[in-house]
Amino acid sequence: MAQFYPGTTKVAQNRRNFCNPDYTLEKLREVSDEDVVKILGHRAPGEEYPSVHPPIDELDEPEDAVREMVIPIDGAKAGDRVRYIQFSDSMYFAPCHPFIRARSYLWRFRGADAGVLSGRQIIETRERDLEKYAKTLIETEYMDAGRTGIKGKTVHGHSLRLDEDGIMFDMIRRFIYDKASGTVSYVKNQIGEELDEPVNVGAPLDEATLKAKTTIYRKDGEAYRDDKDAVEVLHRVHVLRSEGGFCPE
Amino acid sequence: MDIEIFPHRLLGADTTERLLNDLEDIEGVKRMVVHGPRLPPEEARHPDRRTIKIKGEEVNLQVKTGRVLLEIETEEAIDDVREACEDNLPFGFEVHVGTFIRKQKTVTDNIKYGEDLDKIPDEMVGLTDQSARLSDRATIIKRKKEQ
Repeated sequence: MAQFYPGTTKVAQNRRNFCNPDYTLEKLREVSDEDVVKILGHRAPGEEYPSVHPPIDELDEPEDAVREMVIPIDGAKAGDRVRYIQFSDSMYFAPCHPFIRARSYLWRFRGADAGVLSGRQIIETRERDLEKYAKTLIETEYMDAGRTGIKGKTVHGHSLRLDEDGIMFDMIRRFIYDKASGTVSYVKNQIGEELDEPVNVGAPLDEATLKAKTTIYRKDGEAYRDDKDAVEVLHRVHVLRSEGGFCPE
Repeated sequence: MDIEIFPHRLLGADTTERLLNDLEDIEGVKRMVVHGPRLPPEEARHPDRRTIKIKGEEVNLQVKTGRVLLEIETEEAIDDVREACEDNLPFGFEVHVGTFIRKQKTVTDNIKYGEDLDKIPDEMVGLTDQSARLSDRATIIKRKKEQ
């Protein structure tokens, strides 16, 4: 069995859950395919997928064993463009965070490229596959309506204090909390263009649920130093890397 | 002496209004500075960008409140400030004692105001950043007993 992540705490277990492709992630909300396309903002709903090359079947490719072995993903078969979705996760107990996102994407999503930065995380793949993956990312516990933002640009906010309602800061106000209904709606797509109709992503999770679901070690939640197993593995990796890199003999 | 109220969340306009009104009731508070990330211009129609009323005086709220700096006359006021915060900030806050508001006129002030610097009363020093006009940012709230 693959060893995804060490540790005995709940945070470590959550990290393992995300990375383990056999684990079924909890579905928290329903978002229609059309709404996913709207939030992504790469094409209009119902529009044909623009292509950058003819379908692979029609291409005259050279003989190659690897080309025969690797089954192309749907988007590659059809010649779709490569497109992206980018998330920003608040440091205040967001369910997921950039590097666990990347690790889990690589386990769960085929043919996708994951890019990690401190405050944001991007996944790039062919357009029709991206829409499929984006739906999973938006509907499941990868995302919380308040602590996770779909931010294609102007991502600032992951390390800022939350606002009074527990919503992460967003400079261009793509998502808005409605106090009356207690739900969050996206009024702009991921790069900040106005949507015709808001896309409702449901209510943010409460603090206790977020603390149980988070993959972030925090002193005011579960501290990393308290997870003896995880720290031991980290020490071992550190020592081996230092010794191996310094002077092996 | 100065104190800084550091709420654990960024405050909306309603909470800011309630908090500032309660703080204004405290005897020992001389000056207040509301500090935080700037809100977008009025055209963007941000719900927190509005005029708030503090003791009947209209104040144009230009920032999302992240900290409130207070200049207080006596140490006893700190307990009253804490009490006001407990009522208005259920998500938690911290109160730090230190020096947060500038008290002296600087060379930069001299360059900015020129000969008019002498006309600026000491109470107005340190209430805004160097790049802004004092009249855009500072509001004088009169106390009843002083009227």
